[in-house]
Order: sequence, then C-alpha cells, then structure tokens
Amino acid sequence: MAFLLRRLVFYMAAFIAAATINFFLPRLMPGDPVRLMFSSAGAELPPESLAALKLTFGFVDGPLWQQYLTYLGSIFTGDLGRSIKYFPLPVTSVLGHALVWTVGLMGTATIISFALGTFLGIVAAWRRGSRFDVIVSVGAIFATSVPAVVTSLIVLFIFGFTLGWFPNGYAADPSLDPAFSFQYIGSIIYHGILPMITLCTVLIGGFTVTMRNNMINLLGEDYIVMARAKGLSDRHVMLWYAARNALLPTVSSLAIAIGTILGGSLVTEVVYNYPGLGNILYQAILARDYPVIQGQLLIMTATMLVANFIVDVSYVLLDPRLKGA
Amino acid sequence: MKSLLRNRKALIGLVIILLIILMAIAAPLLTQYDPNARTGRPHQPPSMDHILGTTRIGQDVFARLIYGARTSLAVGFGAGLLITAVGTALGIISGYRGGKTDEVISFFTNMVLVVPNLPLLLVLAAFIGQASPLVIALILGATSWAWGARVTRAETLSVKQKDFVKSAEMMGEPQWRIMTFEIFPNVISIVGINFIGSVIFAIITEATLEFLGLGDPRAVSWGTMLYNAQKASALSVGAWWDILTPCFALAFLGIGMSLLNFAVDEIANPRLRTGNHLKRWSLLVRSGEGRL
Repeated sequence: MAFLLRRLVFYMAAFIAAATINFFLPRLMPGDPVRLMFSSAGAELPPESLAALKLTFGFVDGPLWQQYLTYLGSIFTGDLGRSIKYFPLPVTSVLGHALVWTVGLMGTATIISFALGTFLGIVAAWRRGSRFDVIVSVGAIFATSVPAVVTSLIVLFIFGFTLGWFPNGYAADPSLDPAFSFQYIGSIIYHGILPMITLCTVLIGGFTVTMRNNMINLLGEDYIVMARAKGLSDRHVMLWYAARNALLPTVSSLAIAIGTILGGSLVTEVVYNYPGLGNILYQAILARDYPVIQGQLLIMTATMLVANFIVDVSYVLLDPRLKGA
Repeated sequence: MKSLLRNRKALIGLVIILLIILMAIAAPLLTQYDPNARTGRPHQPPSMDHILGTTRIGQDVFARLIYGARTSLAVGFGAGLLITAVGTALGIISGYRGGKTDEVISFFTNMVLVVPNLPLLLVLAAFIGQASPLVIALILGATSWAWGARVTRAETLSVKQKDFVKSAEMMGEPQWRIMTFEIFPNVISIVGINFIGSVIFAIITEATLEFLGLGDPRAVSWGTMLYNAQKASALSVGAWWDILTPCFALAFLGIGMSLLNFAVDEIANPRLRTGNHLKRWSLLVRSGEGRL
C-alpha cells in the first residue's frame, strides 16, 4: 500500500511538472502571449472572452507565483481554456470526445500486440537458434525500427489504395448516424482494421524482444533445470516455469512502452484521418490552436500516468514480494 | 570492433548505414538537380530524366532524397550525441555520488520518463514555430536523455563496487577523475547501446515532427518530404513515388541502425544470440549443464 501511495504522489508531481511547462512556455514568447496566440491563428475574439482566457492561462495582475497558482487552479478545476479553431468550444470537450476514440484504438492494439508479441517471444526463446527464432527476431527488429509514420503510410498504400480492401480514413462510414446498431459498430470495426494493423506492427516487436530476452536470461536458472529433471513436459516447463517469471519484467516494460504507444497512435490517427487525439492535435498544429496543443499534453500525461498506475497495481498483484512493502 | 565485424547483423547494418552516408556525401555527384529547384512538370512518374519522379511542384524526388539524407543523418547523429552525453553524465554522476545528488537526479529522470515524449516535443516545437533541423536536434537533446541516464546509473552502481575504483579512491584521486577515467570506460557498452538507440529515436522523431507540420517546410529533409507529399495528397492522386521514397529511406536507415543496435546488445550479452554464434555457445552450455 505504501508503495502505491508513493507512486501516486510521484505521478502528481509529474503532472504538475507538465503543467509548469505549459505555464512557462507562453511567457517565454515575446509580446502579449494571449494576444499573440490568438492573432497568429487569425481568430477574432470579443474582449470579454479574451479576459476569460487570460484568467484561464493565469495572466492576472500580480506576482508570478500568484499567476502560477491561478493557472494550476484552473487546470485542477478542469478548465483548459477554449479552442481557437472550434471557438467557443472548451478544450476539454474537444479533447474529451477524441480521447474516447484514441483510448479505444490504442487499448485494443496494445492488448493484441502484447499478447501476441509475448507469446512469440516465449516460443522464440524456448527454441532459440532455430529457424523460427531467427525469423521472429529479425522480424521484430524490422517492425520496431520502422517509424510509425512509415508503417502507416505503407499499410495504407498497400491495403487502402492499391488493393482497395479497406477504407482510407475516418472511424466509421460518415453517411451512417452514430447509433448502438449492428451496422454502425460493424462500420467502426471495418474502419479500424488498418489503423489496428499499423499499430500492432509498430508495437509487437518491442514486446517480442523484451519477452525473448527475459526468457533467455531465465533459462539457465536452477528451477528450470529442476523442472526438466522432474520429467515435466516441455510445454509445461516453458509456460508455467519460465514464461511465468519472465512476464514480470515485461509488465514493467509495458509502463515505459505506453509513451511510445501514445506517440504511435498520434501519427497513425493523422495518416488515417481517425477522429482521435492525434488528428485533433494535427488540426490544432495546422491552425496554431495553442490552447488545444497545450491541453493535449496535459490529457496525454494524465492518460500515461493512469496507465502507469494500472501497471503498478498489476505489478503488486503479480509480485508477492511487493505486497508487504 | 573485430567481434562487431564478425556478427552478420552488425555487418549488414553497417553496410546500410555507410551506403546512406556515402550517398549523402556524394549527393552533388549523383544528381545534377538542385533539390529546391523546379526541374520538371508536377508529379511526373519515374523516368530517365527523373529516376524517382517529381514532386507536386516539380522538384526532383531523387535529388531531395539524397540531399535530405544529409539533414536526417546530421540531426540523428547530432541529437543522438547530445542525448547520450547528457544521459551518460547524469547517470554516472548520480550513480557514483549517491546520496542527495542521486535522489535529485533520479527524481527528475523518473519524472521525464513518465511525461509522454512526443506530445511534450509537439508543444515545445509549436511554441518555437517552424523549427529548423538544428532546433529540433537541440530540443530532442534536452528532453530525451532520461532512459540513458537510468541505465547508465544502474551500470555505474555495479562498477562502483569493483576493486579498481576502491583503490583509486584510496589513492586520493579526485571524483571527476574517477568518474571520467575509471567508471566511464567500464560502462562504455551501455553508452554505445544508448547512443545507437538515441540516433534511431532522433531520426524517427525529427521525421515525425516534420511530418506533423512542426518543422521548417523549406528545409530539405526526409520528414519535410513526407509532410509535403502528404499535404499534396500524393497517395490519393496516385503519386506513390513522392511519398514512398522518403518512407523507404527512413525504413532502411531505421533497420540498419537497429541491426547494429541488436548486434552490440548480443555482443555485450552473448545469451541473446540467434543463428550460428549461438550454436557454439549452446554446445558449450549443453556439455556443461546437461540437456537444457
């Protein structure tokens, strides 16, 4: 329990650090930051909404620490300002809607590639040096080293444009009304297949390599030899003796991988015109919609911290040594 | 170095990287076109005049590819060096000094590790405006050192316990000298892996930032090639050469660097090997430990 509490305090500090960056960046710009943020986007604002915005970003009269507290206050009350591009929509509603799509896509892709990659890593390590191992290892190297932008563009080119098997963008058929119907959900799945293939290709290599390396480092351990000596079947030793213990460090590597997953999904969404955070962000960059760009850093940091905390909890559940700590 | 050349993965990786470097250096000899000049009609497919076709505004794609390699390589290696230098220095200092210094540095390292990197870079780049490749390299160096610092620190902790470090301490050598001449040479394999990994990361991230429109669109680099091709809807108008050229270039460079990275990893940790090297090793193990 103390362990989890300590992590919680640490995540809080990390979130405040991200917010601090957001606070100081506009202040490093020359001139009046709020006016500049808006004039570069070419938006016209009524004076009273400009005043409200200044308040959100902490541009109040007073010393810097007071401005900083005002800013932190508005963040923790869930006010991230208003979007310039979609004025007067608040940033939280613009991003909140997109977050659902991103988490859905990212979550599914992570689960699929984690399960598949871990399994491939187990078998490759068990038969290390075999042809299977060579193919899996080299394939994993290729998959991890090709940037997500490139993977998505190539997958889109092959399956979307050349073969025409799958749609080239959007999360669902735009002619359908969003409803909890068989047709609409089917359309979401159909549109999600290409981004899903892309994300899985980007992610699977890392999981495979981590699992393979962990397994191999364990295979020399005495308890593996002991299990063999007892005459247990190959598969039993592989899954219940080696893989079970090798999985633990893999779970903690999952926490570090979440950053990569977020980055990968950002780029994939842009290429496939998927209505998630990545695409909103891309539109925001093109329009220099600073409140949205800053808001996404906070939302993504929060997402990452929550995911990290889930990993921490599962780590405590998986590793009995941590329970007492 | 010798063992590096005997490893097949390393050899293939090195050849790929050297080819790309040579191509970048010899760019003016390989094409007569200026990468920025309009030298043909827009979006022409590959032909004898333009072996990789032309872009939307009629620039030669091959010329942009080989001149762009210069930028991508320079940012990759420059930022990679910066990331490794910061990470190694912080890792060795916090690992060796311990105590309060270690606590402060480790706290910041862990904090940087949990703030998602790409979104942070996007915010920084957005406020800088159209970031030139040099600026991108600098912000990469400033934000991406945490992983290196963490692994170098862990390695330093184990090296610190060795006798030669203890004896250097007893002889009264100053701390900076122990860190640079006793610790650093002994964590060099971790530093090497960190460096190659950072170069890969920097190349990919520069291309990604530019693809997302945060780079300087006038710069000639693989990322801006992707950005311009995507903006010209190259795929939907059928100009595949415009967008696939930088794609494959990035993929090849990435694969080359990763092969090298995995080879260094295997040499540092022989258990991880696949293929021929493994046979000899596993024979040794088998004869020693029975059936494994």
